[in-house]
Amino acid sequence: MYNDKESQKIVDIIQNYARKHSLFILAYGTGCGAIEIPPTMTSRYDAERFGIRGSATPRQADVLLITGYLATKSLKRVIKVYEQMQDPKYVIGFGSCTINGGMYWDSYNTINVLDKYLPVDVYINGCMPRPEAVIAGFVKLQKLIQQGKADGWDIYKKNIDEYKANQKKIITNWVMPDFNF
Amino acid sequence: MNSLVLLILIIAGGALLSYFGHKINKILGNITVFAVALIIPIYWFTQVDFTETVSFTVSGFHMELGYNMYGRLFSMIVMILSPLALIYAIGYMKDQKKLATFYFSFLFSILGMTGILMSRDFVSLFIFWEIMTWSSYLLVIFLGKDVQKTGIKYMVFSAIGAYAMLMAIVIIYKNTGSMMLSDYFGSFAGFTLQTKLLTGILLLLGFAVKSAVMPFHVWAPGAYSNTPMAYTSVFSGALSKMGIYGLGFVVVNLFAQANLEIVGYVLAWLGAITAVLATFSAVFQHDAKKLLAYSSIAQLGYIVTGIGIGTELSIMAGLYLAVLHAAFKGVLFMVVGAVERQAGTTDMNVVSGLVRKMPFTFFTALIAIIALAGIPPLGGFVGKWMLYESLINNGNFLMVIMIFLSSTAAFLYCFKFLFGLFLGQQELEFDHVKEASPIMIIPMLLLSVFLLVTGAYPGIVFKYIAEGMTNLGFHNVNWQMSVLTNAWGDSVNVQHVYLSVVVVFVAFLIFITWRGYKHATKISTKDISSSGEMIKPEDNMTYAMDFYKPFERVLSPILKYKINKYYEDFGKGLEALFDFMRRIYTGNGQTYAVYVIVFLAILLIFSKSIFGY
Amino acid sequence: MEGIGYKILGAVLTTILAFVVGMFYGGFSRKITARIQNRVGPPVWQNFLDVLKLLFKKTSVRYGFMHHIAPLWMISMSITTLMFVPVLNDGLFFTNLNFSGDIIFLLYIMVMGSLGMALGAGSTGNPNSAIGVSRGLTQMVGFEIPWVMALVALMIQYKTTSVTGLMEVQSQSGTWLMFSSPFAFIAALLAMPGMFRYSPFDIVGAPSELASGPISEFGGKYLSTMMTSGSIFAFVKLTLYVDIFMGGASNLIVLVLKTFTLYMYPVLWGTVSARFRTEQSVRYFWGWPTFFGFIALIYAAF
Repeated sequence: MYNDKESQKIVDIIQNYARKHSLFILAYGTGCGAIEIPPTMTSRYDAERFGIRGSATPRQADVLLITGYLATKSLKRVIKVYEQMQDPKYVIGFGSCTINGGMYWDSYNTINVLDKYLPVDVYINGCMPRPEAVIAGFVKLQKLIQQGKADGWDIYKKNIDEYKANQKKIITNWVMPDFNF
Repeated sequence: MNSLVLLILIIAGGALLSYFGHKINKILGNITVFAVALIIPIYWFTQVDFTETVSFTVSGFHMELGYNMYGRLFSMIVMILSPLALIYAIGYMKDQKKLATFYFSFLFSILGMTGILMSRDFVSLFIFWEIMTWSSYLLVIFLGKDVQKTGIKYMVFSAIGAYAMLMAIVIIYKNTGSMMLSDYFGSFAGFTLQTKLLTGILLLLGFAVKSAVMPFHVWAPGAYSNTPMAYTSVFSGALSKMGIYGLGFVVVNLFAQANLEIVGYVLAWLGAITAVLATFSAVFQHDAKKLLAYSSIAQLGYIVTGIGIGTELSIMAGLYLAVLHAAFKGVLFMVVGAVERQAGTTDMNVVSGLVRKMPFTFFTALIAIIALAGIPPLGGFVGKWMLYESLINNGNFLMVIMIFLSSTAAFLYCFKFLFGLFLGQQELEFDHVKEASPIMIIPMLLLSVFLLVTGAYPGIVFKYIAEGMTNLGFHNVNWQMSVLTNAWGDSVNVQHVYLSVVVVFVAFLIFITWRGYKHATKISTKDISSSGEMIKPEDNMTYAMDFYKPFERVLSPILKYKINKYYEDFGKGLEALFDFMRRIYTGNGQTYAVYVIVFLAILLIFSKSIFGY
Repeated sequence: MEGIGYKILGAVLTTILAFVVGMFYGGFSRKITARIQNRVGPPVWQNFLDVLKLLFKKTSVRYGFMHHIAPLWMISMSITTLMFVPVLNDGLFFTNLNFSGDIIFLLYIMVMGSLGMALGAGSTGNPNSAIGVSRGLTQMVGFEIPWVMALVALMIQYKTTSVTGLMEVQSQSGTWLMFSSPFAFIAALLAMPGMFRYSPFDIVGAPSELASGPISEFGGKYLSTMMTSGSIFAFVKLTLYVDIFMGGASNLIVLVLKTFTLYMYPVLWGTVSARFRTEQSVRYFWGWPTFFGFIALIYAAF
């Protein structure tokens, strides 16, 4: 069945359709952007109508939401959480800080470009992005999944050495468990 | 030569041989024990003729040995469980000293049990009963832990039981002029109500102590948990069943025949109360041995309830549970022994995550726990089902609720047992633990297989139970290989249950294992979702302390005012009593002489009013 | 062999039916909760998408034997329970093994699934899972008592211990047991939310308190199997209630209507209540529900 190209295509379509409409998000809410998550999920903006749902543990989650700046200290945690997630997994960089450091661009203890350390699929810019923007970001991610372009997890696996090198540059005391997937 | 005499000689000879074997050399001793453990059951199953009898007369007392079908049922428990425990003991006791005494007492307690089950008269019954009690007492104090408390408790309660029995025997002899059990049964209907109750209840007292029914269970937790585990599996599995054996024929053959079902009913209530209280106590134990000890008391409570109700189905349930209890409690005590030996402790607050180190032990424990919890499709369910149905058919609705409360709460300690020892975090301090030696694993596996098979074919046990129940006055007991039926005609086909569970399980096993299992990495228990916290290998993440705190809070009103206070007062009262009794023994010969004289004087003065002559 | 063919076909059909209906119930409950909170809510087939997605997700870690078989254990128990619960009063395909089991058996097999999950959760070593399990088992002791009391009352009153027997009683007398034995029904109904684990009895999963409780470390295929099992089991429980108290159902539409009505009760209660603590939950179950259970028993016995 898996050798058959036609049926593979159909499987892919179903697969991507299911993935697209069921996004379990794990919000890494240490940055100030976390305050925008509750309005996004609750009555006013109701992200659940897109099939977006909060999840409590990385094992069940599909989307890792990095809400705002990342201190070097917490980068380690984020990487661990990301590696605990199961494929396929997506990362959404949330707010200007994840794109270029934002207002913390010259801070000694935050990272500037998230994409160097984790493969970001969608950036949502703004400081802070409003819930509409967040939902727009999710819709963008859904589009990418539909087209099969949201393959950050694959890129991470392929370029693991590069990512690890970048991460180790920032994290001085490296006590991480080995990568597992 | 008579096969029964030979059986007793074989066991006694085995005891002596293993004693001397171990005196000479450990290896020789172990080989002897192994050989004895094989010979006894093989001889029993192939050579013993159950129709034979032996009778002899000692100083005027006619004594007779011979099996009946009811005794044979219990003998099967002894003959299957004890040899397995003996073989297990070879591995378990490897590093212990005083092995000669251990095996000697072990085999002598087997001898005692075998003798009890074929005694047809009260004298031999009493003699064998005492052999069993004393040899088990030697094993209770064998490790020298807590001798003051548990050993003396066990001894005192056993003595109370034994003397109650002795008193009953004397009164019976006075009334019937014969020591034969059959004469007693035959003439029971002719006794006055007073004599009926007196003899019967004294006998019941003797048996109830061994089967740890509510007011007399105090010795059990300590004795079960302080004995070497190899023997505890027999202690809890087979030896306590001797009490059940006695209760069975007293309640059913005597009281039920004489329209005194009320005694059985009271006993059933005691059993139900025992089950509930012991279960609650078991839930809050943090030592696996203590947990199992309380659980044994609770399980014996079910059995006593079944026997006490006295209908066909309930007795069948009681006896079936007795057989099953021997199997699963045998396994569980062996499991605890293995854990104790390999990991050094059985404290569930400390030890955890052994499943990765001791998979076979875990597997047997899992099977035994499922059977204990009475969950289909394993054998334990069958007994529970019959017990409930018999209670419901009788309309004892309150007792059903109590038993159900007890067995639902039993899930709590069942899970805690598995979780505390085997599941949970794998800690560094137990990294060195290895799987137990095969000689310990094999007996456990064999018993587990029995538990698995009885799930689908409980009939293999029913066959012997039905035969045994002919001696309790139930002829033509209705049983089928794998269909259970109650008095209202509702039935459960356990084979269908098994089939359904296995088919679905295998189907989904293939589904979930196919494509993916081999790609999955097995990871350590430190790699859990911890909200980003970095857990180092040496961090202790075990959650076991106060595991059932919410349940404790729920029960706190009861626990505070009832159980604890009751137990403490009871204990204090007993201690005060013992303290007083100790003072009687002054060590002065003249005081003892005075006691004797006073006792004789009392006898002379009151003999008329007590004994009537 | 035709008989066996029908049996297998019936079993498969029943399972699929239970799965589909259970999944839609989950979807409806999400939709209704959303509407109560003035949201649009996900589509009613959202749960199918979730299960499908989880199936396609890679399952790249395992914690060992128990972790691997826990979902299987759950689903085999759910489906086995389904096989022994009469789905319709009479029908060609849905009889399955109804006549091979009775109420006591069902009571026991219904707790087996939770025990399997508890063991799987325990083997992951996540402390949150262990806390969830300890809470769940404690709560089980709570709600099982009134529920068993109600059932024992019915069994003693009608002198049968099988579900089919109770259904026959209802079809002969023409009244549902919820009217002829009202106290048993009240006790069972009050105990029911505990089984469904909606608020205020959602102390096991306890979102935002215990991560997701016992299922914290299960993802991918494991979680999808568990969700499947959960939806089948919800259907089974509702059908059992309908069979025992509401006269069963003669066709699927009636069944769906009755079970859905019953299902709304824990869901709606859940939307408007906050979470109990464990001991509060057990005390609740040992309060009024048990009181009504006693009354039912007395009503039945005299």
